[in-house]
Order: sequence, then C-alpha cells, then structure tokens
Amino acid sequence: MQLALIILVPLLGAFAPALRRRDPVWRLALFAGLPALLSFSLLLSLLPQVLAGEVLVYQWDWISQLGLSFALRLDGLGWLFATLITGMGTLIIAYARYYFEGKATSGRFYSLILLFMFAMLGIVLSENLLFMLVFWELTSLVSFLLIGFNWHSQGARRGARMSLVITGGGGLLLLAGLLLLGQMAGSYQLSEVLLAGERIKADPRYPVMLSLVLLGAFTKSAQFPFHLWLPHAMSAPTPVSAYLHSATMVKAGLFLMARLHPAIADTELWFNLVVPTGMLTLMVGAFVAMFMHDIKGLLAYSTISHLGLIALLLGLGTPLAVSAALFHLVCHALFKAPLFMMAGMVDQATGSRDMQRINGLWRYMPVLMVLTAVPAAAMAGLPLMSGYLSKKMLFVESLQVSYPFWTTVVPVWVTLAGLFSVAYSIRIFHNVFYNGRPLDLPIYPPRQPSRRAMAPLALLTLGCLVVGFAPALVYDKVVAMAVNAASGTLVPAYDFSALSVARWPMIMSIIAMIGGALFYLARNPLFAIHSRLPEVDAKNIFEWIVDRAIAYSQRRVYQLENGSLQRYLALILVTTVGLGGWALLRFDQWQGPIALSPVDAMSVFGASVICLAALGVVVFHHARLPALLALGVCGLFVTLAFARFSAPDLALTQLSVEVMAVVIMMLALSFLPQRSPHESSLPRWTRDLTVAGIAGIGVGGLAYAVLTRPVDSISDFFLANAVPGGGGTNVVNVILVDFRGFDTLGEITVLGIAAVAVYAFTRDLHLKERVAQIADEHWVADPHPVILSMVARLVLPIALLVSAYIFLRGHNMPGGGFIAGLITAAALTLQYMAGGLVWAQERMLTQFRPLIGGGILLAGVTGMGAWVFGYPFLTSTFGYFSLPLVGKFELASALLFDLGVYATVVGSTLLILANLGKLMTVAGPGKEIG
Amino acid sequence: MTDVAIPWVLELLIAVFLLVGALVALLGTLGLVRFPDFYTRLHAPTKASTLGVGCTLLGSMIYFSVIKEGISAQEVLITLFLFVTAPVSAHMMAKAALHRRVNAVKRTRQTPWSEE
Repeated sequence: MQLALIILVPLLGAFAPALRRRDPVWRLALFAGLPALLSFSLLLSLLPQVLAGEVLVYQWDWISQLGLSFALRLDGLGWLFATLITGMGTLIIAYARYYFEGKATSGRFYSLILLFMFAMLGIVLSENLLFMLVFWELTSLVSFLLIGFNWHSQGARRGARMSLVITGGGGLLLLAGLLLLGQMAGSYQLSEVLLAGERIKADPRYPVMLSLVLLGAFTKSAQFPFHLWLPHAMSAPTPVSAYLHSATMVKAGLFLMARLHPAIADTELWFNLVVPTGMLTLMVGAFVAMFMHDIKGLLAYSTISHLGLIALLLGLGTPLAVSAALFHLVCHALFKAPLFMMAGMVDQATGSRDMQRINGLWRYMPVLMVLTAVPAAAMAGLPLMSGYLSKKMLFVESLQVSYPFWTTVVPVWVTLAGLFSVAYSIRIFHNVFYNGRPLDLPIYPPRQPSRRAMAPLALLTLGCLVVGFAPALVYDKVVAMAVNAASGTLVPAYDFSALSVARWPMIMSIIAMIGGALFYLARNPLFAIHSRLPEVDAKNIFEWIVDRAIAYSQRRVYQLENGSLQRYLALILVTTVGLGGWALLRFDQWQGPIALSPVDAMSVFGASVICLAALGVVVFHHARLPALLALGVCGLFVTLAFARFSAPDLALTQLSVEVMAVVIMMLALSFLPQRSPHESSLPRWTRDLTVAGIAGIGVGGLAYAVLTRPVDSISDFFLANAVPGGGGTNVVNVILVDFRGFDTLGEITVLGIAAVAVYAFTRDLHLKERVAQIADEHWVADPHPVILSMVARLVLPIALLVSAYIFLRGHNMPGGGFIAGLITAAALTLQYMAGGLVWAQERMLTQFRPLIGGGILLAGVTGMGAWVFGYPFLTSTFGYFSLPLVGKFELASALLFDLGVYATVVGSTLLILANLGKLMTVAGPGKEIG
Repeated sequence: MTDVAIPWVLELLIAVFLLVGALVALLGTLGLVRFPDFYTRLHAPTKASTLGVGCTLLGSMIYFSVIKEGISAQEVLITLFLFVTAPVSAHMMAKAALHRRVNAVKRTRQTPWSEE
C-alpha cells in the first residue's frame, strides 16, 4: 500500500496547482513540494527493508487475461531511481519557485512537473512490463507538454514535436519488444522475466526482441543518432531541462537497460549493439558540446555524452561495469542539475545564454561562482570530485574488455572522450565567470540572484562533495543494492582504495586532463574553423522530413479518397462483391428445399412498381425532385409489401420514416445545385452498371438462397415468450423494448448523437448564396399561406391524439414509441412548414437537445431500475390494473422505456430538421435552435 | 366473417357507396391522364381523393358497424383527415405552380378580374 502511495501522491498533488493557478508562486510551490517531499520520505522510510535485500511487491489485478496488472515493485534499483526522481524533483520545485517568480504560468508548470514525477515513478516502480510501458509513453506525453511550455514560440513547438515523434516512436518499438519479451518469458511480471534469462537468450526471436527494446531505450536516452531531439528540448524552461533532460527522463532508457539486464544482457549481440552506440554517443556529445555557445546547448550535448558513457558501461559486460554505470549515473545527476540551475540563473540575471557575450561574471556573482566550481570540476573529473572516481571506474572497466578488436579501441576512445569532456567543463566555468568582461548583455549590470534561490544548488553541490570524499559510504549504502538488483546476483563491494593506485587509469586520467586543458586553450582558432562550416540545423531537417511525409501521405490519401461519392460506393461494392464472390465460389445450390409460393397479380404489380421506381431514380437523378419522388414511391411500396406480408409494425414505421425522410431529403437536397450536369462517359457508365449489376444480382441471389431454406431462428422463442415474459402481444414491440432492449438503447443513442452532430455541423454554417432566388417578389411568393397554417394548427391536436393512441397500444398491437415519435415529429414538422421556423420555434415548449438527452436518460434509468429489485439491466415488469371508466388495462415498465425512445426520436428528428431549415433562412433566427 | 347476415338494404347501400367511390376514383385517374396542363389536372385527383375515398370509407364504415359490435369510428377520423388535408394540398400545389410560373394552356387563360 505504501508503494501505491508513493506514486499516487504526486498524481493527486498535481491537481492543486492546476486548480489554484492564481495563487502566489510560493504557495503553489508549497502545494507541489509537499507531495514530492512526502513521496521522498516514504521512500526513505522503506530504505532499511530495501537495504536488507527485500523486494516489496504490491499487486492488484486489472485485466488478468491480458497479463496486465497494476503491480508495483520496489527493490534496490527501483529505490535508487525513485529516490533520485523524488529528491531531485523536490529541489527543482524549490528552485522553480524563484525561476517562476512573477510569472502567471507557474501553476501549469507545477502540475505538469508533478504529473511527470508520477509517470517517472511509475516506470521505475512497475512490476508489470506492460504497465511500465503505459508510464513510459506518459513521460513522452508530459515531456511534450513541458518542452512546448512556451507554446507561443515556434522553436518550442517544433522542439516539442520532434521529441514526441522520436521518443513516442521509440515507445512503440519498445511496446513490440516488450510484447515479444513477455511471450518469450511466458509472463509480463518482472520477477518472472528476470529469472527467465537463459530461456530468453536461447530463443530464436531474441535478436529481434533485443533490437526493439534497445531502440526504445536509445530513443528515450538520446543515444546517437536519436540524440537530436535533446538539444532542441532545451527550449523548455530551465527547471524542466534540469529535471527531465538531465536527471530523470533521459535516464529512463538507461534504467530499462539496467532493469532488464539479467534477462537480456551480456550476450555478444548485446555488446555489439550497445557498446558502439554508447561510444559514438559519448564522442559526438563530448565533441559537439565544446562548440556550443549556448550554455544550455553545451549542457545538453554534455548530457548526451554522459548518457552515452553510461550506456557504454552497461554494455561492456565486465564484472563491475554495472556498478560503475550506476555510480556514474548518480554522480551525473548530482553535478548536471546544479549546472542547469546555474544556467537558468545566469539567463535570468543577464538576459542571455550566449557564452560569447557572458564573461567575467565572478565580479557580480561570486557565490554562484563558488557553487558552480564544484559541479563543473566534478563534470571534468578533477581529483577528489565525484566525477573523478566515476571516470576512473570507466577507465578501469574499459581496460578489461575481452572481445578482440575492442581491447585497444575502447580505452583509447574513452580517453579521447574524457579529454573533450574536460575541455567543455573548463569552458562552461571559465567562459561564464572569467574570460574578460561581459559584452553588450541585454541586462547590464547583471541582476543579483537571490540567495535563497541558491539553496537547492548548494545542496546538490554538497552532494557532489560528499560523493567525492566518501565514495565507499555512498556506494555501499545506495548504489550497491541497486547494482545487486540490476545484475541479479550479489556483486562484490567496489574497492575504491585499489582505484587510486591503479596505474593505467591514472595515466589515462592525466592524459585527458592535460589534453583537455590544451584543447581549451586552442579554442579560438577552433571556433573560427567551426563558424566557417555550413550550419546544419537538425530541426529544419526534421521539419522538412515531416512536411514531406505529410505531403506524401496526403497525396496517397487523395488517390484513394478524392471526394467522389461514386468512387467510394464503387470501392465498397467492389470489395463486398470480391469478398462475397470469393466466399461463394464453391456455392452451387442457390435453390433451397422450400417450395416457391405461387405468383399472384398483386405481388407482381407491386414488385414491378418498385423496380420501375428504382429505375426512375436512376433515370431522373439529374433532376432532384423527380428522383426524390421516385424514391418515395419505392418506399411506399415497400410499406405496402410489409403490410401485405403481415408486418404491420414495420409498415407503420416505414410509412412514417418515409414521410420524414422525404421532407428532410428535400430540405437537404435544396442546398445542392438543382440540376446536375451530364458528365458520365460511356466507359464509366459501363463500369458503374457492371459493378451495380453484379452487386444487385448477388444480393438478390443471396436473398433467394436464404428465403428458400428453412431457418431455425430465435423467432419461435420470441413468439412463445412475448406474453408470459414481456407482457405484450405485439411481439415486435416486446422485442424492441424488452428482449432486445439493450439494442434499442444503443440505437436511440446513435440517433441522438447523429442529430447532435448535424446540429454541430450546421451551427456556424452560413450559406450566403441561399438568399432570395428566382422572382420572390412575385405575387404568390407567400411563404406561409394562411390556409395551410390555419389547417395545420387544426391538424396538430388530432395528430397528437393519434400519436398517443399508437404509443399506448404499442405493447399489444401495432405501434410503439418509435412510430409514435415519428408521427409527432411529422405533425410538428407540418407546423414548421406552415408557420415558418421562427413562429414554430417560439412555440416549442422545450429545446431539442434536452429532449434527446432526457429520452436516453429515461430509457437508461428505467433499465437500471431493474437493479433495485435485483434483476439484470433492462428487465421489465408489468401488471394489470383497472380504473373506473377506463376499465382493465396493463402497465409495463417497458412503457417508460418506450417513452424514452419516443422523446429521443421526436427530439432528434426535429433537431435535424430545424437546423437544416435554419440554413434556408437568410440570417437564421435570432437564437440557436438546439 | 361473412357468416354474419347483413340486411339486403344495407348490403345495397354498401355496394352503392363502394361503386360510386370506385367510379369517382376512376374518373379522377382519367382526368389526371386527359387534362392538358397542371392547373386543370390538379382538379381530378383532388375530387377523387375526397369524394371517391370518402364514399369508399362510408361503405366500409357501414359494413364494419354491422358485422362488429358498436360503431366503427376509425373511418370517421380518416375521412376527417382527408377532407382537411386534400384541399389544402391542392391549394399548396397550385400556389407552388404559380410561384414557379408553370405554364397553363391558352384556353384556360380567361382572367375574370382582368386588370386592363
């Protein structure tokens, strides 16, 4: 439970700053700082247990069928990272309190940073691989928001997008990799995966899985060539860079590599993938950093280089390499974060981050200078500093590589990279605080940073010193248990005294230090050469690629989806015919065992009328009104067919649907050109005719085949149970409101959504061309003739009476809510047509959207009412009552459900109709119709 | 249901109503075919739907009132609807035609309220 609290506290805490955005910054910092601190102290309180080697697991099943569970795990490795995340987070929150002084955006920052902390804690404390991936993607998303924090700047937006594409894309690869891993291990639970190392490495899918997982880790941890997003993420506010892009998020990839180490690491493939990548990253980052004039740019590339270093160590596979990697990871967090904080303070004090202009700040900020000296020295790896030790550990490990070729390459390579890192460390310190005087700074003289703002910085600096002076203590208490957890065995204690006397590492260190200093001294000619090189901005290249990709996919989409309805129909039909035809290839018996019913004159007549009318639609389709009328004829004859083959309910429904459909279609079609041009060529005619013909004949044939076969359907059950089960003799209605009530509920919901969508589409639509057509000044141009409007008013009560009658008798005789709703809608439509939109709208008792919502709600609540009596959803009940005058009658709870259907149908139909009608008017009525 | 005996007077009445209704409907249909332009054509089905269907409904009303208990009132409602709606529809159609300036044949153009 404590475990769950550790990650949930920041999540809950994230709400407070977001809700109290207007509060002063210090209070927001308090809101944000307390949850972080609480998580941190919870972790500290668990330290004894973790030190004792316990693995705490908290598990709560979520979707066990998918192997997905809400499972947390705290062991040494998780503890180390979680403590870094919460501790560093607390300090950053304290630092940001000064960084955001007087800015209105601090509330957003604080809630995002807590959200980020939550996601990060989720990664490092997950026991379930899939669960971890959810948090993994969550960090990408929150990081996107944080990098794009200053969304009004184009650089920030582009940087954010770039990082999302790269890290999010990496997350997808990781998903694939983890799924494979889970399959190979037979479980997604970490405890089981970690034990299945032998089996996993022997699996033939191992190379694929490993590449995918490593790609995920590399993109997140900015390994070459995916490092490009990290420098561009520097457009984020400095606290974000300090937290996400040096101390936590970029370490997630390394964490993953360490976490899965027992399961997937230490094979030749692992070495060949990880070591070269780490080496390249290490070198590229260290080399480019030297030439960055932006302080944060330099720090970003230096971070990349250090990430490469840690990855390299994780890949080496020598006995103590993992110890060195995790030790350096801690050191790096301790010295990189204060340097970032320094960068932010200098930026705020001088208004610039350009090291060619910021010089000689020691006069203005002596305290900051002293505080920066320590982490900068640590980064350079000067003696007595934490970085000195970790770098030396690297040298020691590099000398122990046993793979042929690499035995000499790796030590030389890391010495060279060490040289560069010394150079840029000197540069960041020397260029900022010495090197002459400031050159035309935007803010001059520089503002004094507040003393209290330096407190977090001072704490971290102190941390650097502690690690430098007492490495064995820190290692034993904090790192060793993480190393044990990461390597899955008990690793012997690291012998720091042996480190100081080792000969070769000492020589390598000295070479790096002297070489670095020399390199720095030669900086001016080097900068001159660098400035003459063509400038390559990765962001532009990235944007170019994105633009090209978008243009390409748009072209491809357009090839398929060019706005031609004919093409869509053709595609759908061809696909259907293709699939259906393929399935029917071996089908030779169209005629089933049931004998055909005798042909009678009426049926022939009706069928021919339907055929002719359908043909008429095609022939007249250039003129919309005749085509619509022909369509109406089809509909009416279908109604007659229903009535003839004893389906009165369907007939009634079809009839009322037909009326409303024609009215709405007429309204909608009037927005299109009144005549469509003749443009089809003969080949297209042939093509269309063929496709339509095959599809039509196919459907006809299928219907024939089905109708001539005996079908053992559920209808007998419905017929037998309608009265005892549903209390109604109208089986159709009982099915609708009772047996298949859930279907109906879904259908009216869809209907309501469709209507609201029409409302949303037409709400802000103004069709200016619709104003006044032919000769409206003519004397018959009387939009609302008196006779019609008077008679319409007369008809309304009668129609409503019919509607009520149909509704009430629905359960036992043809009728029901749907039909009644359509009749009411038709009657009200008549009012709209006769009296005009404004006139009718003024007289409507309710808006339509509440009607729709109320209807769905009523239906739903009626269904839920069954729960009260312990029955499943939508069970209906009924009883027989009698009243004087009325006599015996039946009341069913289904009636209430039906009332919901009724309200939804009325509301939806009228909402669509009135909003389409509004488009016809010049400016629309004064207020919205909804 | 034909086993209920209907008095011959009523039977005659029903038959007359049905036949008259059918005849009027036939005339209306003929008119629809024969008349030369929209305005004249409009007359035929209007009469057919009121008078023709009205007669048929009367016949039906008598028939069902006899073979079932009580008076069959549904037909009254239908008739009411028809009598209210048919003229109004015809009126609206005429107005629409005028509005769209549908041509009338020459012979019918005698304007009694000639403004000249």
